[in-house]
Amino acid sequence: MAPAVLRASRCVFRGMWLLMAVGGWAGRAAPAVDFGRDILPILSNHCLHCHGPDEKERKGGLRLDTAEGLRTPGKSGAVALVPGRSAESELYLRIRSPHEDEVMPPPKAKKALSAEQVAVIQRWIDEGAVWSRHWSLEVPRRPVVPDPVGGGTALAHPVDRFLRARLEREGIPPSPEADRRTLVRRLYLDLIGLPPEPTTVRAFVDDARPDAYERLVDALLASPHFGERWGRHWLDLARYADSAGYLNDTLRPYAYLYRDWVIDSVNRDQPFDQFTIEQLAGDLLPGATLEQKIATGFHRNSLKNDEAGADLELDRVKAGVDRVATTGAVWLGLTLGCAECHSHKYDPISLREFYQLYAFFNATAERDVPAPRPAELAEFNRRQAVWEKERDRLEAPIAQHATTLVETGVPAWERELSLPKTRWVVLAPEEVTHITEDEEHTLPVNEDHSITTGVKDPVRSRYVVKVPIAQPGVTGFRLEALADLGAKVGRSKGGDFALAEFSVMLKTPAGAQEKLPLATARADFAAKSGPVENVLDGDNTTSWTIAPQTEATHVLVVELQAPRDFPAGSTLYFELEHRLTGVLTRFRLSATSAALPLEASTLPDAVLAILDTPAGQRSPAQQLALARHVARFVDAKGRELHRPLAAHYGKQPDFPKTAAPVLVTHPRKTRVHHRGDYRQPGEEVEPGTPAALPPLQARGPRADRLDLARWLVDPANPLTARVTVNHVWQQLFGRGLVATPDNFGALGERPSHPELLDWLATEFIRLGWSRKQLIRLLVTSATYRQTSVGRPDLAERDPLNRLLARQSRHRLEAEIVRDVALASSGLLNRTIGGPSIHPPLPAFVMAFGRNRTWPETKGPDAFRRGMYIHLRRNVPYPMLTTFDASDASVACTRRERSNSPLQALTLLNDPVFFACSEKLGAELAGQPGDLEARLRLGFERCLGRAPRAAELQALHAHHADQLALADGDERLAYLATARLLLNLDEFITRE
Amino acid sequence: MPSHLPLFSRRSFLTQACGGIGGLALSHLLSGEGRLLGATLPGPGQVGTHHAPRAKNCIYIYLEGGPSQMDLYDPKPKLNELDGQPLPESMWKNMRFAFLAKESARIMGTPRTFRKHGQCGMELSDLLPHIGSIADDICLIRSMHTDQFNHVPGQLLMNTGSAIAGRPSLGSWLSYGLGSENRNLPEFVVLICVGRGVPGGSASWASGFLPSKYSGVMFRNEGTPVLNLDNPAAISSAMQRRTIEGVSRLNALHHAEVHDPEIESRIAAYELAFRMQAAAPELMDLSGESQATLDLYGVDRTEPKIEGGNQLGGTGLFGTFARNCLMARRLVERGVRVVQVIHASWDHHSRINTDLPHNCLMADQPIAALVKDLKQRGLLDDTLVICGSEFGRTALGENRPGSRSVTGRDHHPNAFSLWLAGGGIKGGQVIGETDDLAWNVAKDPVHVHDLHATILHLFGYDHTRLTYRFQGRDYRLTDVHGQLVPRLFT
Repeated sequence: MAPAVLRASRCVFRGMWLLMAVGGWAGRAAPAVDFGRDILPILSNHCLHCHGPDEKERKGGLRLDTAEGLRTPGKSGAVALVPGRSAESELYLRIRSPHEDEVMPPPKAKKALSAEQVAVIQRWIDEGAVWSRHWSLEVPRRPVVPDPVGGGTALAHPVDRFLRARLEREGIPPSPEADRRTLVRRLYLDLIGLPPEPTTVRAFVDDARPDAYERLVDALLASPHFGERWGRHWLDLARYADSAGYLNDTLRPYAYLYRDWVIDSVNRDQPFDQFTIEQLAGDLLPGATLEQKIATGFHRNSLKNDEAGADLELDRVKAGVDRVATTGAVWLGLTLGCAECHSHKYDPISLREFYQLYAFFNATAERDVPAPRPAELAEFNRRQAVWEKERDRLEAPIAQHATTLVETGVPAWERELSLPKTRWVVLAPEEVTHITEDEEHTLPVNEDHSITTGVKDPVRSRYVVKVPIAQPGVTGFRLEALADLGAKVGRSKGGDFALAEFSVMLKTPAGAQEKLPLATARADFAAKSGPVENVLDGDNTTSWTIAPQTEATHVLVVELQAPRDFPAGSTLYFELEHRLTGVLTRFRLSATSAALPLEASTLPDAVLAILDTPAGQRSPAQQLALARHVARFVDAKGRELHRPLAAHYGKQPDFPKTAAPVLVTHPRKTRVHHRGDYRQPGEEVEPGTPAALPPLQARGPRADRLDLARWLVDPANPLTARVTVNHVWQQLFGRGLVATPDNFGALGERPSHPELLDWLATEFIRLGWSRKQLIRLLVTSATYRQTSVGRPDLAERDPLNRLLARQSRHRLEAEIVRDVALASSGLLNRTIGGPSIHPPLPAFVMAFGRNRTWPETKGPDAFRRGMYIHLRRNVPYPMLTTFDASDASVACTRRERSNSPLQALTLLNDPVFFACSEKLGAELAGQPGDLEARLRLGFERCLGRAPRAAELQALHAHHADQLALADGDERLAYLATARLLLNLDEFITRE
Repeated sequence: MPSHLPLFSRRSFLTQACGGIGGLALSHLLSGEGRLLGATLPGPGQVGTHHAPRAKNCIYIYLEGGPSQMDLYDPKPKLNELDGQPLPESMWKNMRFAFLAKESARIMGTPRTFRKHGQCGMELSDLLPHIGSIADDICLIRSMHTDQFNHVPGQLLMNTGSAIAGRPSLGSWLSYGLGSENRNLPEFVVLICVGRGVPGGSASWASGFLPSKYSGVMFRNEGTPVLNLDNPAAISSAMQRRTIEGVSRLNALHHAEVHDPEIESRIAAYELAFRMQAAAPELMDLSGESQATLDLYGVDRTEPKIEGGNQLGGTGLFGTFARNCLMARRLVERGVRVVQVIHASWDHHSRINTDLPHNCLMADQPIAALVKDLKQRGLLDDTLVICGSEFGRTALGENRPGSRSVTGRDHHPNAFSLWLAGGGIKGGQVIGETDDLAWNVAKDPVHVHDLHATILHLFGYDHTRLTYRFQGRDYRLTDVHGQLVPRLFT
């Protein structure tokens, strides 16, 4: 196949090019210029800001990021590029122009080209100006695995063959394999984030089987702690936190459900394509399970501003923008967020395309769905069964009694009854907003279209209920204040409520707004001190109240001044303002077109419907339903029998409150926002993906999130697999093959080993997107197993270790620093999953935030792994911040690794680390054997290896020194020795 | 530790600390390799300035919540004339407010009186007599405006240049640019005087995507200033010192095996940690300050009782705030580049005529004292002092639904006041004007981005060129905005 040969020769060519660059082969013919490698970066950094994809910024009508643009005459008529003839190409003439008003880039842009850059552009044009697309937009094709000359049979591993081939070309020898003690510790830290026990280390060192290493790898991949380690990497991308940020920093007590899902999914090695689909669109899968819905919590990690008066629509839009940007950074390695306000300056993403992507997330709503954990549910079911048994016992006589009422009681009641004339249509709310002085929240709507208020809703609460309506001749509205059996109708201490104002705003299909004029308010009952007229008097200090009738349902009806037609597309906003005492417990809204006056009857609609049926035509069930109504509300004996039942209902076990934050579909139109401002809507757009990437296959007429998710993991997508293997690579080798893991675009770094990246991307898909198999592949390479010891020759030639002639050596991540200290000292609680913990925190750290509750975790839970520490956005746990944990504001694709005195102070003096020293010191002091045996044991427990002679000597000296300073206190001296070990650089480093 | 050390100048303190116990032992440790410890620590001016700087240090006094400009800095006689009148609809129609019901809100007058101060005749409220006494040193901007009317986005914009969380703070940009002058203390210190708490939390001093070493380090007001600076009770300072030596000795041994420069940084970091521990008691110990200085700041003032307590600003903070201002000077003296002094809160939605005077009584004297003290010590020329907040307040009284009476003002982003002094600022001038009700800027508007651009300019940086590449993009404090305000410094 010709391309393979061509590619191979290109490899050699490129090798020569590099050798030249490195060794300076002056005098030889230079290799051909490669557009992607040599030219595009210059254009991206110096030209595309004004001559790129952004049509608004484009100067002179010239576009340099497409082949077409380069060959199309600009406004001046000059052609930028005449292949083969630089002297006739306007591009070249302008960049080398000596005239200030002519030279490009213009001096004021401060982006002048160097002489070398001008020269390489000239050479590129003269060589024919071959243009190619940016490398990452081409689908990776599986390259032939190279055969390095000196490889031999030892180099069976494809990863090694790619890397060695490159090293050979550079003339750099690889490093030898690390010793077995280093290897086992490296594997433990990389795969599960915990240090190996000394016995484990020794067992591996002594394991002579040829596949001992692979066995260890497999054991670690099967460990349930693998999901914690690699799940935490993913949580960085997911910007996971336990609070919402902004002023209130509202807690998200059940965010951990998503964290648990991630750990579990990684542990069962859910294929990455499925892993992706469930997080972006788990709710849209046929027969979606609760766990698949919980997966959509990925995009519930956006920040949320619920400060008073905050522009909620703006915040909703910003969350959508965050979701696009995060999706771009995590899966595509593209800075999509740059196109929020204008077309991307460097990558082919237009403003319009940004909003097409935004449309997927704009058509969503946030929900919290009940998600009791199995243990919680089992406990609830147990209590519920007990409760139900008692309820049945109490209900039996009522049912019995009701049957006796069918014949006489009901007809007698019906004869006395003056049937209300008004019939109602219950309104189905679309959105319910609860507004207090400081916050706004949305409330869920019950299946019967009623709304249950929050148990803790403050007295001064407003509920705004948005209801679509299409009904002619509406004469008025009804508000039912519902009292369930055993419950009170209002939420004040005594069960009263105080409704201060009731108003209705109309938004016409054309968008006009009008406060509907209400004429009369009527209620079935009102307290003397709280007449019903108060709800329409415009004075929010006076209210409708109902004490002492707190156990009955009450009804408010309001009449419009004149009947109104509401054509389809109309929306009503009901506003219920409360004051002074409690809010309504549960309420429902209805409308009617009936003749005035409207009656305020508490007869339920269902009962009314039966009463409207002639007696002879009622079914037995209907007859019984009427009897039950009479037994409950009318008949003396029936009411007596209901008393204990009502009391029993008051003791109903609470369903577990655990509710998962999820995304659901909520259709909305999307328009382009000019300059990223949603108040400047432009043309309407349909959900879609950028044209520069393969087309989206939608299942229906309109693409949805599930289509988007499947598009991301379609093998035809050039980015997702590359970006993902790069994330994994970075964790195992300290640096990505692409060093800018979140930017595979024009301004990102080019891959250090492009063929290897493409081979891995195709291999990842071939392995069924298995994360574990990919990791297994990488860690079994000789490259991974090299020693990380620094080499003087590399320090100069490859200081960043791009070529991987050795392993990298790097400090552990924040959470793992904590984990190794807890594990080595024996304090670690290895429980997996569940709610976050609150380790002790000094009061002054909490004090600067507004959300100051910190229920300190006591007992063994306090010593759980770092990844379970409650992550409050405004008051991050200082130890984690000090060691560069992500701040959860945006997707973190690469953590910093700083080295600071605050880290030293933390390891030395932080109470958690001191507790570790105490525990380890006490254990050492309690060990059999002499001092030296104990020192050796401590060293081995912390570092997984025996001390060298000089190290042992230093340990002895330190111990003796501390013992003397501690006035001979042995316990304290061992503590001090443990403290020394836990502070060593090697202890917090993956070698 | 250095209780026996005399008070020293910055230079002698540095020399002493560098050659101190930790330093000696450690340099001895590594002497075989001939390496100089601390060589891996960033030196000053690491990014390199773009032009000659006028300021070297920054003290940023942040009065969180939005102090009322018309009660403090911007006299508006019309306010009392129109007290109780509605505002023309055109002025509020398209505005959002946190609490006030705009349709029924009324203009609220002020009981404050203004008089002229200094040679320049700057008009300031009767609540700021001490700041009045430094009028000739300060440049008051009455025409500040911002885009955000909620606290957190407003604070993020004011302190990080973006209303979206995750960007580096002004202080972080400055310490990124300037590096450290001090090897014993962090580059950027935050002093908090907590009344109600800071809504945005640490975002106002966080380093965002810059490395975490540029993050502000929060100092406690009393006792040990930095978290974990105290040794655990069982560990004597001699044990600590010898432990750090032991750790470094073993680290050095390992370094000889694996040749990783990060280990040298680790050794240096432990040494700096130890020096920080040693330097802190001296920093916090005010016994060397003269009584005159303590009185200037009002460290020992008695706080008058306030009926019902100070609802927002808290009570019992007169001493703390004064000490923080004094501490700011001491930190700058010791080479700390950026000090942010924060007090929360000035968010006077209600009780403005009782709580605001109480806050001012607390803050006015120490802030003025800081400027005077810096000046008499010759530090003001190098030290930029900024006193500001995220926005101002409305001329309308806040008629929050549910409140019985109107006693405060709501958030107002269109116009607010802020002042600067020292660090190349031309004092004794007022920039900008607002309309008759301090509602909109009438002349010479200064946006938050413009202020940031100018602050960076004073430190020798072109705000368009002090950048950091993140996610493939060169980010800057001013995003794509910012116009210099040359009048501030010429």
